[in-house]
Amino acid sequence: MAAREPRFNQHVLIDTTPMPSSIPPVQEVGASSAPLLSASYFIGARCKAYNDDFMKCKTDANGRGEIECLKEGRKVTRCAAGVLEDINKSCLEEFRKHWTCLDDNNQQLWQCRRLERGLNKCVFDNLKLEKTIPGTPENEVPVHLRKKQIFAHSLLSQ
Amino acid sequence: MGIPFEALIPYGVMLGMFAVSGAALSKIRHMQNGDKRPRYSVDAWDKQMMDRDRRLTGFLRGQTDSVKAPPGFELSNPWRVEPTFT
Repeated sequence: MAAREPRFNQHVLIDTTPMPSSIPPVQEVGASSAPLLSASYFIGARCKAYNDDFMKCKTDANGRGEIECLKEGRKVTRCAAGVLEDINKSCLEEFRKHWTCLDDNNQQLWQCRRLERGLNKCVFDNLKLEKTIPGTPENEVPVHLRKKQIFAHSLLSQ
Repeated sequence: MGIPFEALIPYGVMLGMFAVSGAALSKIRHMQNGDKRPRYSVDAWDKQMMDRDRRLTGFLRGQTDSVKAPPGFELSNPWRVEPTFT
């Protein structure tokens, strides 16, 4: 698949055949890009095991991951939907403000740190989920905790 | 001796026309982006996420934070069809 030449495509085909009934159905996550980005680190904090399982299954499947990793994928979807539901129940206002800010700012997290701090505090208090950025070097402050965001457009939103 | 303002009126007209057309185009671009600032530096990931937003809400810049996807979302991901060479 990887070595095939790309060809332009203008036509799309939408196949409305439902999945076979042997595959258990799972409700897809209904959040769009900005709320999903906003909640992504909390989803990562709670669902790390399922996500890692799914990624490992896909790398090990050598191209057949779409067919063979459906079970792990269902677990990922259910876990992420669970996190979103909890955030909606407990921190809806801060969540909405943060993802509206992200949507205004080209989905760039560093423009909306002020609202993100409020959201992080609320989620930590209610859901005990903390945002960590994996791969931060030990002796540096993580970017989301720094006082000054050097690329932010305005000082107000930092 | 005052400034010859009649001679500067044509420049004022030209400046005003540039300003009006620029403002109108900017307003149209704002409206086309769902009353939001337009996205820039859109890469393949962002294109794919915006396509997913369009499948979820109907608008390219629409956002929703509902937990459950609308019915029919699972089946609305299109197959990109390629021309065949026989």
